[in-house]
Amino acid sequence: MAYAYLFKYIIIGDTGVGKSCLLLQFTDKRFQPVHDLTIGVEFGARMITIDGKQIKLQIWDTAGQEAFRSITRSYYRGAAGALLVYDITRRETFNHLTTWLEDARQHSNSNMVIMLIGNKSDLESRREVKKEEGEAFAREHGLVFMETSAKTAANVEEAFINTAKEIYEKIQEGVFDINNEANGIKIGPQHSTAGAGGAGGAGAGGAPPGGCC
Amino acid sequence: MNFLKSGIKTVLGAPEPGQQPSVAETVERLVERASNSTLLEDRRDACRALKALSRKYRLEVGAQGLDTLRQILELDRADNETINYALDTLNNVVSPSQFEDEEDKPHIPMNIGDQFTEMFIKDPHNIQLILDLLDEYDFRVRLSAVQFLISLLTNRTKDIQEIILDKPMGVSKMMDLLGDTREVIRNETLLLLIKLTKGNANIQKIVAFENAFDRLFEIVSSEGYSDGGIIVEDCLLLMLNLLKNNSSNINFFKEGSYIQKMLPMFNIPEESEEIGWSPQKVSNLHCMLQLVRTLVSPSNSAQIISNCQKIMKNVGLLDAMCNILMASGVPADILTETINSVGEVVRGEGSNQEFIGNVIAPSYPPRPAIIVLLMSMVNEKQPFPLRCAVLYCFQCYLSHNEMSQANLVQTLLPSSSDVALLMLLSQWMSHCPAAVSAFLQVPGGVGYLVNQTSSNEHDDNECLLQGLSAFLLAICINFNDDSVASYTRDSLKQLLLKRVGMELFCAKLGEVSRHELYNKAAKHPQLRVASPKEVLIDYEFCRLFKSLESVLGHSLAERRANGAEADEAELEQYKALIRQQDARLHELVHQLDALAGQARELQSTLNDSLAANSLLKDENTLLKAQVSANSIPIQPKPTQPDPKLVQYEERMLQLNGEVFRLNEEVTRLNGEVDRLNGELKTAKDAEKNSAEELEKLKKDQDDLLYLLANYDSKTNEYKMRLLQLGEPVEDDEPAEEDNPT
Repeated sequence: MAYAYLFKYIIIGDTGVGKSCLLLQFTDKRFQPVHDLTIGVEFGARMITIDGKQIKLQIWDTAGQEAFRSITRSYYRGAAGALLVYDITRRETFNHLTTWLEDARQHSNSNMVIMLIGNKSDLESRREVKKEEGEAFAREHGLVFMETSAKTAANVEEAFINTAKEIYEKIQEGVFDINNEANGIKIGPQHSTAGAGGAGGAGAGGAPPGGCC
Repeated sequence: MNFLKSGIKTVLGAPEPGQQPSVAETVERLVERASNSTLLEDRRDACRALKALSRKYRLEVGAQGLDTLRQILELDRADNETINYALDTLNNVVSPSQFEDEEDKPHIPMNIGDQFTEMFIKDPHNIQLILDLLDEYDFRVRLSAVQFLISLLTNRTKDIQEIILDKPMGVSKMMDLLGDTREVIRNETLLLLIKLTKGNANIQKIVAFENAFDRLFEIVSSEGYSDGGIIVEDCLLLMLNLLKNNSSNINFFKEGSYIQKMLPMFNIPEESEEIGWSPQKVSNLHCMLQLVRTLVSPSNSAQIISNCQKIMKNVGLLDAMCNILMASGVPADILTETINSVGEVVRGEGSNQEFIGNVIAPSYPPRPAIIVLLMSMVNEKQPFPLRCAVLYCFQCYLSHNEMSQANLVQTLLPSSSDVALLMLLSQWMSHCPAAVSAFLQVPGGVGYLVNQTSSNEHDDNECLLQGLSAFLLAICINFNDDSVASYTRDSLKQLLLKRVGMELFCAKLGEVSRHELYNKAAKHPQLRVASPKEVLIDYEFCRLFKSLESVLGHSLAERRANGAEADEAELEQYKALIRQQDARLHELVHQLDALAGQARELQSTLNDSLAANSLLKDENTLLKAQVSANSIPIQPKPTQPDPKLVQYEERMLQLNGEVFRLNEEVTRLNGEVDRLNGELKTAKDAEKNSAEELEKLKKDQDDLLYLLANYDSKTNEYKMRLLQLGEPVEDDEPAEEDNPT
């Protein structure tokens, strides 16, 4: 149960792109072809390892429907990472990315890592959005990009873990103020007692205390 | 009051003598001033005066001043004092409680605060105004804004919740206030959040997301856990709001390792006996126990319950709760609630049940805690709710615990018409053939039940008793493994048919679910009754009954219709048939195997023979060639080894066959010869006939030749005579005609 860091994620994107299925695949390693509409927000969690450190991911899976948009917005501020998901077989979900991104940038802290995800890569025959288009969009907006399949689990682990790596690097670089829990990052119990000095000893980790000055 | 009056005088100026203005007029002038004065000081004074009036004359102030006050919140944000007066005035106007000053004004409607709230929130932007004021650091403004929101929420919980959900960062802003270092604000914020989160899952989730549990446990810890003041209770009440019926938050609570953080709450210091428990400590612990029960509530999903139960045992929470059970000086209501909680923490979870089964009470001699609890359950001097709690805990201990069920059922005998005992027996014996078997071995057990079932008393509770007896009998039949010879399934059924009759039996079974107490008890797991007299049926039993009623009734009815024995016989018949077919199948398979083996053997023998045969043929050819070359008669071969002999025999058989074939050919050819001879004879006969014909024809020819010769000579004679007579004769061919003659 002990962890070095805890990261909070949110999953956002149009309704029906597979957000809940991505979460289920990541936390439970299973796929549910028929999934109820998410009402409001649902919670899931899993432990991963990065750089030999245990990292706890707490993930809030949001409702994609417009009616829940204002509820969803309440979750941007406290998240360290966001998975912005579209469906490669439905172009309109790709077209809405700009709106989602604007919303996220407006309400989140500026350091939030956003991973762009083109989901349903198993449905190649019904593809409407080329992989290159996703890559181009990500490049243009400074996002990390991946195509995944919640059904076959292709790239699902990678999507969540790469996002965590990005956050972890930002912590090492001292970009995140890890003492402010509103950033969606928490230091684990064994770190907070004895670890503050230890983290400082780990080279770049010395930056966060500097940020306090 | 004097100060107040003079205050109003200074604002409004001295009233004209003899003409006291009415309250409505005064308020109107104050509102006008607050709205239109160009000087900030004037507006501030007007607000101060309105605030002073608002407790006694809220109808007038609210009716005329609501809009103006709202306007001031927007336009005078720079002046904290004015804002503070405006907020306080508004808060008084919408206050859900009645002020002392109002007591002599019976004409003011009870729900006046509610009505003003409705007017205020008609424009949702007004709520945004208040939320914006939460950003103001000034102590008075911030506190007033929080209090005003509390009043609004109290009056119109659902409406305000929806409005706040719609405002980005609305909930987050309130959560930020929880970190305010000024305790008064932090404490008011707790009250605000308790109101805000009531019954709204979406807000509950956002509050949890905003690190509420961390903040709350920090506060609880800094206040000294269960020894802390009412703030600890408020924190726990907020946590309860966040978790109740919210599986996403329960999951978050569990995943966030917050269950571990509950542990220090249950550490009861040794010396507590001497100090005694303060009412606040009782309240705090009560809330903490509620928190435990919310996590493992039977209404949660099975997975969540089981996960939480395991964690609670592993982190020592269950142990700590057991320590409270065993401690002395614990107030009765806390003890009762702890027993209920322990029950739900172990309910259906094997290892936890085992754990409390092994807890030893600090008594002399040491006895298992479960036994000590049961002893207090049957002790009528103990408080009734405590006894109910022990019963519930005990049921939880036995739930899905077959081992303990079987152990315990052996110690019980239906010796009195005790409904609870029958229910306990039903619980233990259902789905547990071992327990049924143990019960059936108890002398007089079945007889008692049959007597009860067939009795015909019509008292309300007697009916229930009869129904329960019938139910227990049905269980004895359904979960019978036929291990007790005198009471097998069939013999029990026969007994019922004879002694009770199926119609009556089913009717009695149906009595139970029609009973009033059954329907009351079916609603909630824990006993909720006022007096011991009403404790006849409990929730667990209702569930069990519901799940088994149709199964039992149906199976009994079906057996009755078809005749159980016919079924059995038919079944036996089919079984025999299947066995028979199975044996036959085995036999055939064996045969097939044997035959296949034989075929393989023969095939190899045949191959050998063919090889040998061709070898012999070659040899034979060679010998023949030698014979013809040397003209040496073949010496009869000396005794040959068996295979050769066999070969010769075979050859002989072959030749015999040839001979036979040739004989047949000969016969056929002889036949042919006979046929040909016949033909020849016919031909010879025909030849003879032809010869005779020829002979006859030759003779005819001779005759004709002779006639012809005669005729010729005559002709020549006539020719001569004609010539002599000088008659020309046409002589074309007469000479020639002579030639052939």
